[in-house]
Amino acid sequence: MSDPVPLTTDHPGQVASATPPAPGRSRRLSDRGLAVAFISPALLLLLAMSVFPLLWALYLSFTDYSATRGGPAHFVWFENYTAILTSAQVHLRALTTLIYVVGAVALQTVLGFAIAYLISRRTHGRGLLTTLFLVPMMLSQVVVGLFWKFMLDAQFGVINSMLGSLGLGQVEWLTRQRTALISLIVVDTWQWTPFIMLIALAGLTAVPKYLYEAASIDRASEWFRFRTITLPLVWPLLLIAVLFRAIEAFRLFDLVYILTSGGPGVSTETLSFHVYKVAFLGFNTGTASAYGILMVLVVIVLTQLYLRYLNKLKED
Amino acid sequence: MAAMLVATTMAACGQDDGATSAPKASATIPELTKDPLTLSFIWFDWPPAHALEAFANAEYTKVRSNVTIKVNTVPNANWHDAMFTQFAAHKTDFDIPILDSQHIGEAVTNGNILDITDFVKKNIDVKAYNPYLLAAYGQYPQAETGKRDENASLYGLPLLGDTWTMIYRKDLIGDKPPQTWDEMISVAEKCQADNPGVSGLAFHQANGSDAAAVTYNTVNAVYGGNLWDSKTRKIDGVINDAAGQEAMDVLVNKMKPLTAAGSGNWFIDEVNAAVAQGKACIAFNWIAASGGLLDPKQSTLGTTREEILDKLGFATLPSQKTNLVPLGGMGMHVSAYSPAANQAEALNFMKWFEQADIQKKWAAAGGVPSRTDALESPEFLNAGPFNQVYADSVSRMRDMWNVPEYARLVDIENTNVNAALNGAKTPKDALNDIAKEQQGVLDSGSRKGGGGL
Repeated sequence: MSDPVPLTTDHPGQVASATPPAPGRSRRLSDRGLAVAFISPALLLLLAMSVFPLLWALYLSFTDYSATRGGPAHFVWFENYTAILTSAQVHLRALTTLIYVVGAVALQTVLGFAIAYLISRRTHGRGLLTTLFLVPMMLSQVVVGLFWKFMLDAQFGVINSMLGSLGLGQVEWLTRQRTALISLIVVDTWQWTPFIMLIALAGLTAVPKYLYEAASIDRASEWFRFRTITLPLVWPLLLIAVLFRAIEAFRLFDLVYILTSGGPGVSTETLSFHVYKVAFLGFNTGTASAYGILMVLVVIVLTQLYLRYLNKLKED
Repeated sequence: MAAMLVATTMAACGQDDGATSAPKASATIPELTKDPLTLSFIWFDWPPAHALEAFANAEYTKVRSNVTIKVNTVPNANWHDAMFTQFAAHKTDFDIPILDSQHIGEAVTNGNILDITDFVKKNIDVKAYNPYLLAAYGQYPQAETGKRDENASLYGLPLLGDTWTMIYRKDLIGDKPPQTWDEMISVAEKCQADNPGVSGLAFHQANGSDAAAVTYNTVNAVYGGNLWDSKTRKIDGVINDAAGQEAMDVLVNKMKPLTAAGSGNWFIDEVNAAVAQGKACIAFNWIAASGGLLDPKQSTLGTTREEILDKLGFATLPSQKTNLVPLGGMGMHVSAYSPAANQAEALNFMKWFEQADIQKKWAAAGGVPSRTDALESPEFLNAGPFNQVYADSVSRMRDMWNVPEYARLVDIENTNVNAALNGAKTPKDALNDIAKEQQGVLDSGSRKGGGGL
């Protein structure tokens, strides 16, 4: 075995002369300056694409500005906000959105966790199964909406055809008040259950095995192990998944636009769809901005409450 | 939201000069460029859009070889938004927006399209047109039904005329089409009873675009109703008067039960599909969208055009208390934000397009012209079995409102009629809600804040 190559030298002066300072670096550019130079493009992009539009929307929300009518924006102060908060039209859309969010997220959570639990108990084919379950999540919402629209068509759709072959009657999935909202929830659940499943699976995989071993030594039942080990440990992670899904569901637009166009009547119009109409049908930009800001505020407030609950859960 | 912000930001940062009226086009066509130029249109995606691009590239390039015509298309539901978001940004990637007649008021008051009154006076033979057709596709303020105000300004010229045709199954109900609306309903009822699996009627019911609204407006007109009093801008009490209530009752309680289950979201394509698959005794659709019905590849009614025509008949709409029919079609306009060279080319194209021989060629290519001589020409009348229907319908046409508030008015009507057709509201409630909400839109001019709700 040969001697190791010396990593240091006894002649620091020689080393210093062999490795001169990096060429081209200006003496005026400090480390901090360099950091700013590297960060500033991304920062400017963020400011231009996110912060400025948000502030601009905030400004417009206090005016009667219309993007197409042009002319100066007149301050109406909180009139837009008052009108939105007291509008029966908005209340109706808020209720529809609430039903949709609660229905879709609850269904996705139950199904997603159940699938994850079943997959986590398998030793073979777990990767393949997980990948297959993730496919719907990878599709564009517009594509999902379009093919479900065909599948749910009352006359020519495959769903009614299957029901017919079972001797069941035709269902007007997208044109009746109750079934239209249920259809939206089902389609959203089909697409986004894998997201909950993925997060739940990560949580389930992370549960230490020794806890289960200890429980089985104590002859704990399956249900007891699930209730006292699995669920409490996966719960915080699951709640984060629920938070993400709830925010996403709250701003649902694509599926409504493609599947029902908000109908029948306005019975499946969500808040986002209504904002779109206010913004683009009459180009009431000021009102639409206030509407958008209010939606952001609702999400922020609910998220804060939720995160506090999560922190409390962690502390407990 | 992001799109709205981009549009508003660009509008605010751009040439926001506060202009609220349309800029004027010059009376004479400015000198045209000799450099290669693409003249862009924007329309929604349907057969006439593709026919226009093919026709214009084949014919216009004979006189302007350096010009390429591009007809950009968007889905019908996005048509208004696609044009007006670009107008909001004061920058358009199209030179000729093809506006629905009802969009004119919004575009004019916002200054989005050129005032071509002087150009028309100098370059277009206005006497060659039925005055109402010329007015419907270009005049603002809106003309009274059937007339043209020669002192009013013009902002567009006809591109494609259109109206509804009644499509009926000759093999199921006989060669003679029903003459009155009541007769049509009873014939459809009998046909549905006699032919299991075939529904009596198929018509537009969707809550997008202007689908359900045009259906109600048509029945409203036939039963002697009115949409509004344009002079007093009164809707409440007009649209929901006795005639309006009767029309809504006929539509929801007599016509809707004769349609296929789940047809509550049908529009142009779905109605055509039902006819082509032999699933409807009588259907109503726009003439310009009916060409595909004669294509054996898309139909189960026959293996040749002749076989299909043995089974399908096309007729003008039945009359009842009036003989009014809906005015469809669109006009050509010039974007106020197009480069000067493109605006000049657009005016030149419009002048070229409105010539008698070009209108006949357009008719032969599948278009529906507006010049009277072209409408009466064999090129048009022989081009399709429904073209005679259009020619016979011209004097019976009635349009909707073309006020700046149109987009909101039609949304209110669409959603409420759709709700009534699908059982989400009673016919009476739906009609009263239309009246109340539309009146609210017209009266909201002085409202501070909350516009659009």
